[in-house]
Amino acid sequence: MKPPAFEYVAAGSVEEAVSLLAEHDGEAKVIAGGQSLVPMLNFRLLAPAVLVDLNRIPGLDGVSEQGGGLRIGALTRHRTLETSEIVKARFPVLNAAMQFVAHLAIRNRGTIGGSLSHADPAAELPTMAVLLDAEIEVAGPKGERVIAAQDFFESALSTTLEEDEIVTGVRLPALAAQTGWAFEEFARRSGDFGIAGVGVTVSLTDGKVAQARVALLGVGQTPIRASAAEAVLLGKERNLELIAAAAEAARQAAEPEDDLHGSADYRRHLVGVLTRRAVEAAWRRALGEVS
Amino acid sequence: MSDTLRIALTVNGVRYEKDVEPRMLLADFLRETLGLTGTHIGCEHGVCGACTVLLNGDSVRSCLTFAVQLDGADIETVESLGTVEDLSPLQQAYREHGALQCGFCTPGMLITSVDLLKKYPLANDAEIREGLSGNLCRCTGYEHIVDAVRAVAKAQAKTDEGDKP
Amino acid sequence: MSETRPKIIGARVQRVEDPRFLAGVGRFTDDLKRAGMLHVAFRRSDESHARIVDIDISAAETMPGVVAVVTAKDIVDAVRPVRAESRMKNYHATTNQPLAAEKVRYVGEAVVAVVAESRYLAEDAAEQIVIEFEPLAELTDPEVAAADGAPLLHEEAGTNIIALREFERGEVDDAFSAAALTVGGRFRFRRKSPCAIENRSYLAEYDQGKRSLTLHATTQVPGIIRDALAEALDIPGHRVRVVAPDVGGGFGGKASLYAEDLIVCLLARKLGRPVKWTSDRLEDLMTTTQGFDEIVEAELALDSDGKFLALRADILGDVGAYSIYPWTCTVEPVQVVSFLPGPYRLPCYRGKVRAVSTAKTPLGPYRGVGRPISTFVMERLVDMAARRLAIDPAEIRVRNLVVEDEFPYKAGSGLVWDRSGFQECLAAAREKIDYEALRQEQAKARAAGRWFGIGIASYAELTGIGSRIAAAPGMALNTGTETSTVRVDSTGSVTATFGIASHGQGMETSLAQVIAEELGVRVEDVEVVHGDSDGQAHGTGTYASRSAVLAGGAATLSARTVRENVIEIASHLLEAAPADIDVADGTISVVGTDRRLSFRELARAFYSEVGRLPHELRETIALEATKTYDPFFGTTSSATHIVALEIDPETYGVELRRYVSAEDCGRIINPLIVDGQVHGGVAQGIGAALFEEVVHDEAGQVLTASFVDYLVPTAAEIPSMETVHVETARPNNVGGFRGMGEGGTIGAPAAIANAVSDALAPLDIEIDELPITPERLFRLIERARKNQ
Repeated sequence: MKPPAFEYVAAGSVEEAVSLLAEHDGEAKVIAGGQSLVPMLNFRLLAPAVLVDLNRIPGLDGVSEQGGGLRIGALTRHRTLETSEIVKARFPVLNAAMQFVAHLAIRNRGTIGGSLSHADPAAELPTMAVLLDAEIEVAGPKGERVIAAQDFFESALSTTLEEDEIVTGVRLPALAAQTGWAFEEFARRSGDFGIAGVGVTVSLTDGKVAQARVALLGVGQTPIRASAAEAVLLGKERNLELIAAAAEAARQAAEPEDDLHGSADYRRHLVGVLTRRAVEAAWRRALGEVS
Repeated sequence: MSDTLRIALTVNGVRYEKDVEPRMLLADFLRETLGLTGTHIGCEHGVCGACTVLLNGDSVRSCLTFAVQLDGADIETVESLGTVEDLSPLQQAYREHGALQCGFCTPGMLITSVDLLKKYPLANDAEIREGLSGNLCRCTGYEHIVDAVRAVAKAQAKTDEGDKP
Repeated sequence: MSETRPKIIGARVQRVEDPRFLAGVGRFTDDLKRAGMLHVAFRRSDESHARIVDIDISAAETMPGVVAVVTAKDIVDAVRPVRAESRMKNYHATTNQPLAAEKVRYVGEAVVAVVAESRYLAEDAAEQIVIEFEPLAELTDPEVAAADGAPLLHEEAGTNIIALREFERGEVDDAFSAAALTVGGRFRFRRKSPCAIENRSYLAEYDQGKRSLTLHATTQVPGIIRDALAEALDIPGHRVRVVAPDVGGGFGGKASLYAEDLIVCLLARKLGRPVKWTSDRLEDLMTTTQGFDEIVEAELALDSDGKFLALRADILGDVGAYSIYPWTCTVEPVQVVSFLPGPYRLPCYRGKVRAVSTAKTPLGPYRGVGRPISTFVMERLVDMAARRLAIDPAEIRVRNLVVEDEFPYKAGSGLVWDRSGFQECLAAAREKIDYEALRQEQAKARAAGRWFGIGIASYAELTGIGSRIAAAPGMALNTGTETSTVRVDSTGSVTATFGIASHGQGMETSLAQVIAEELGVRVEDVEVVHGDSDGQAHGTGTYASRSAVLAGGAATLSARTVRENVIEIASHLLEAAPADIDVADGTISVVGTDRRLSFRELARAFYSEVGRLPHELRETIALEATKTYDPFFGTTSSATHIVALEIDPETYGVELRRYVSAEDCGRIINPLIVDGQVHGGVAQGIGAALFEEVVHDEAGQVLTASFVDYLVPTAAEIPSMETVHVETARPNNVGGFRGMGEGGTIGAPAAIANAVSDALAPLDIEIDELPITPERLFRLIERARKNQ
């Protein structure tokens, strides 16, 4: 399984990278961590004429505070997010999700820009982006723009990036003060892509839900925000029937397909179970009952 | 066929300058170009871990990295850990605990162990098992590998303890 | 010999193999380089059953670095067709061509070989080949293929049922009619791939001057391959050498003759340059022989005390597209039917097996072969009966496992069990896991709504089999002997040469331990040479848990002979009676004196210092002995595995909590090695039970063609394993060893299936299909809930 031949350029800047993409008119691909791209090359599922390496672009990585939230450079490695104290403090749900990402060797190389661009609906970072209402910074030959996470993912392995655009960063808006969180994922083996997963944040004001976010992993063409489930919880105080109803709404929002590792029915079933667990845990955290 | 590009990198403390075809995988560069066949290829899609090496101190899959990307890099492979006459404490622990049988997954397993021991406390078996879950072994059932890593982690913790003022 | 001296056999000796593997300086086949070496990539069929209409290689031939592009017609005169013959009745051999000629019969079958300066370039060229296929009937469902009138995969066989076998003892149907209880089911064990971490690799060199061929191969069976190549390529055996260097695991998947073995040899001879092919993982998952693909309909009849009266079974083995060489397609299916009665007292048995060819990867031996399936079925039936009769599953086994005074016990299939610890292993496993306490823990868990299950599996197998028993019946293949040569050379160094081929089992250490103890040297003084067809006139290799018994037995005999000769020579040199001479730790001494010699001194005197010994002595005695050992029968190995697990009642994820195996494997040479073999086998058994499945779609495409989809368990899925070694009477073979190594895959799937069924007993679910995946559990549980 050797990859097909390609030309290689190590881009020195974002401008250089996007102009190379534009110049090669769809025949060029960027490589960041390569953990998703190179297997596809080795299987000869892709045969780009040119590979544009982003790894040498200075300043493309890094986690910085921005307006109460965080800004994460596209080239930031998974390992950095996993160990970042500020990510753990500001977005513990992201920290929790990073524990599920593959294995150390993959995390040492894989990047957030790469994971989002690859857009596997069963990967953790796309679901986190959708859960946290991330804004994805994009650069192209025509300039920069920002795409809301919900508008970024188009279908499995496909985004609304133009052929000559790359992700340069991700903005995570600050979470409200009293926000609990949870991330539940079910996979066949440690580190595998999830068969189904649910990320939840619950923000309370005066004991009632001021905002609830429920994002589903692995049960659709893209990560899914289960807005109906969120609506069930909004304005309410905690009770078990409510949580069950939210889980049911999330279950209905899932649009899974059958595959080797699980049927659509089973994945939907998992969504119901994992949503209930995640909402319960998030609520407990919001109430300070557990950290 | 694409032109080659020149890279200069350090492997196991030795500096090399080589012309490489861009598509040459680091695993093949190490094995074919440098003759360092200790790093093994098991799947070429990043799952089995047999090809794991250290890149600038971090464990990575050499089957998912192109040599051409590594100009200026510092690579360490299993050959840097010890020799037949002088095995490292980690390698000795593997031997004492019977943590290898056919030996094919062993280089990758060792490199991963090195990185895990550096980065994680490995305070219990569940952590060790999860840390090793990116390296497949078909022979040992992992039992003795976990024993070996546990022993080294404990010894390391004692040393760290002893270093405290 | 002094009784107080610590024994080497039985000692936890660190392996002599380890330093080179740990230091990354092992030599595996793909590590080998030769000047002028060429690389092969194959263009393989993407149709499962099709006629080849046309192959257009014109674009490939002109690609950079390409030296040759070869199809079947280019090699038809260079190789004799390979057929795995057997005298078994109702068996049809298939013609196994290295490159497909008129038709292809499975996805992945090699059609074109591209030879180029690098694997990269060879793959580039292989992509440019255009093959026109005319699809033929889909033949992927074994039951459809087995039906009357089904389209034929091999026209000359006239049937897709290429083997048929039946065993019968006693009045089976009468026993069923009279039985107080019958339990039965249709059991499905789904395909596995051995997935050694090292992919198959072959490097052939042809010496034009001597017209001799050397094949370096990832093989468990160098002697078998040498003999096959001599035949297929028409080269005398003394000019064919097959060498297995370090081999990264085999598990049966490297125990057959493959197309690629032949092709690299043909190409090396034709092109005059060394030729290497290394499989990638995609090829491995499509072409390495697979295992465990059986449908078993079985019933067990019992009396009201839970005593077994009769067993009957109908087995359909899906053996894929070809009958592999040398074992034939019958190797697994026939073992299912012959081992099905298990270690139990069972007066009446009828087992019928059909092997059906389908358009899939050929089936071959995979660790445990037919025994994982037979154990799964029988142990499920036992537990089903226990549930119906409200007898504890351990208790029902106590009532039916053969007891000491019944040995030797002839099972319903004709197998004879010699004295082995069937009851003792069950008792030892129960004690180790604290079975009573575990049942109490289960009661508490159940009361709290948790799904906690305990599963037992008891099995017996024949290992270390001698010439009386065939690994696959009716073959012209002797698997019942091994030969060892022990030599002390002129420097005093000890070399032991074998026909076996260690590939993870640590034979360089364990055989050195046997020889060290028998000869009187230290382990580090013995160099074990194995894996080379030149090593012995005849040898087969390492498979079927045979090497400790056969090679260990041969090593014992040859070492003892050399020891006698050492003593005789020493008696001249030390001027003492042979009875007064001791040999230990590499020193030969006269007991009670300080007169001694090292092996080096003795060897120098014998070989080089001509005056020191009577010259006739060198003509009548040698510091070398070659002995062949045939245990004739086999030894019985047995074990009981007990597993405790918990199923998440919402996600249906299965978590293994405890795993205990208590096995009787006789006299242990090296506990570190034996424990390792148990662990590795259990891990593969867990994989087989919960994770692994080769999936072909209806068109015969392999859907599990990568490690993302074929799920080999990781350290996180395998629990800690507790092993107990039970030693009962030593078997009656030289050395007293029992073979072991396959037990884990034999016991684990059955134990886990029983534990899952136990956990789901409140829902009245009985597991009859492996692997047990969360999806399958979901379906079973949904259906059970609807029915309740």
